[in-house]
Amino acid sequence: MAKIAIDPITRIEGHLRIEAQVDGGKVTDAWSSGTMWRGIELILKGRDPRDCWALTSRI
Amino acid sequence: MRAVENALGITITDNARIIRNIINGIQYVQDHVIHFYHLHALDWVDVVSALKADPAKTASLAQSISDWPNSSPTYFKAVHNKVKTLVESGQLGIFASGYWGHPAYKLPPEANLMAVAHYLEALDWQRDVIRMQALLGAKNPHPQTWLVGGMAIPIDPNSQNALNAGSIAFLKDLAKKALAFVEKVYIPDLLAVASFYKEWAGIGAGVGNYLSYGEFQNDNVSNTTNVWLPGGYIRNKNLSKVEPVDHKQVTEDVAHAWYKYTDGDDKAKHPYDGETTPNYTGPKPPYEFLDTNKKYSWVKGIRYNGLSSEVGPLSRMLIAYASGHKRVKEVVGLVLSKLGVGPAALFSTLGRTAARGIETLVTAEMLPVWIDDLAAKIKAGDIRIHNNEKWDPSTWPKEAKGFGLHEAPRGALGHWVVIKDGKVANYQCVVPGGWNSSPRDAKGQRGPYEAALVDTPIKDPNKPLEVLRTIHSFDPCMACAIHMVDSNRDPIIKVRVV
Repeated sequence: MAKIAIDPITRIEGHLRIEAQVDGGKVTDAWSSGTMWRGIELILKGRDPRDCWALTSRI
Repeated sequence: MRAVENALGITITDNARIIRNIINGIQYVQDHVIHFYHLHALDWVDVVSALKADPAKTASLAQSISDWPNSSPTYFKAVHNKVKTLVESGQLGIFASGYWGHPAYKLPPEANLMAVAHYLEALDWQRDVIRMQALLGAKNPHPQTWLVGGMAIPIDPNSQNALNAGSIAFLKDLAKKALAFVEKVYIPDLLAVASFYKEWAGIGAGVGNYLSYGEFQNDNVSNTTNVWLPGGYIRNKNLSKVEPVDHKQVTEDVAHAWYKYTDGDDKAKHPYDGETTPNYTGPKPPYEFLDTNKKYSWVKGIRYNGLSSEVGPLSRMLIAYASGHKRVKEVVGLVLSKLGVGPAALFSTLGRTAARGIETLVTAEMLPVWIDDLAAKIKAGDIRIHNNEKWDPSTWPKEAKGFGLHEAPRGALGHWVVIKDGKVANYQCVVPGGWNSSPRDAKGQRGPYEAALVDTPIKDPNKPLEVLRTIHSFDPCMACAIHMVDSNRDPIIKVRVV
């Protein structure tokens, strides 16, 4: 039985970590973790609603 | 955009709607092709094995599946030389740190060489065809011409500096190039590669609940159900019933996410009432493993009707297929019959990858149709691009709430906005990567990636290529960050035998 962690997963956009339990040549359980905080919601508070599209499209 | 237009009760113009459809359409086509060749293909294609290929035999293989002109022995010999020079240099560059030689790679050397050739061709192709977005959106990525109420791009048949007959002809030409590559390279390659990996039609299904908001509007109001690709919800792989989408069923909890909710982390909240208060409780980096019994991700537990739900091209194609969308049904049928599998094969890693190709083809076919619609409007003298009736904040109510549902290339994207006194009081984005990568929720239900990985065969835990196949089949977008990997950093795989 082995536990594996892949961090970062490459050839994607952004930061992703996968942990998996491997037993008998198969994954028996897995966990997906986003390792970067986005916080765009906080940036938008108090802004002009007409600007939201330009800020959110940077996500 | 749609959230704010919905909150303020704004109807956009026909031209703005069509231009938004064209930009979104070319994004699907470009994104999906890049995903297949540059982000996903190397999970199936062994670049180093391509060196063993005979260029003449590769040419025969390529010619047997497509009449794409770049298929001579000389052409493949040149690609072979390029790969050879790279491998012999000892510095693999863009092909570094692959699991080359892994026993799970099954393609013959000739198929590998053909795919590597098209990997390189696709790089040139995508740069060319995305000029459609550059023309209509001013640049790519992050188009600049969006505007609440329409678009900020002038239409004037008599001006050199506006959308005119010349730009329409240019768009048509690019749309033709986009479709040709998809028809003659991407789809034949996808079918050829898939035919060697049919066992992956039985791996990686995941949660079996599929959500799409529907996209490519035929009228000018946010969240209309009058769309080219229908929205809907499929529960537990049941293709005989597509439920209508209700945005009120979207919720997020933070039982396993690094946030704090004022009234309890396991209370699921609708995005209108959403809170974003970071609360990191994970281990201090560098660490070996996360404590997954507690909080372990920056992604919230996003659920629809309390259920973990997959979004993306597979969801859209399943919902279109099950709703009786004519062209989607035809192409799905064609792909299934070429691979000799039934519709149940779609619920898998391979199905996810095939659905992306199917969607690319049907969308590329629509690009010329939308461009013709735009041309017909302009010809008929309609050059209205923006509705400015409610541009001025003095026309807005003191308080307004709105939501905007959209299908981005990677899947369902919803924005929820609360406006007070002309300013944003609350804003929540529930993004495609969030749906698919979401962690466990308060009830302990796995997210779509987590569920899809269970039962995946692993030949070598030190080289978990099979994990990458399933994760990449979702086309992860973890917030589109700039991402750098230090060449001196620790290995990215940690294995602990327990």
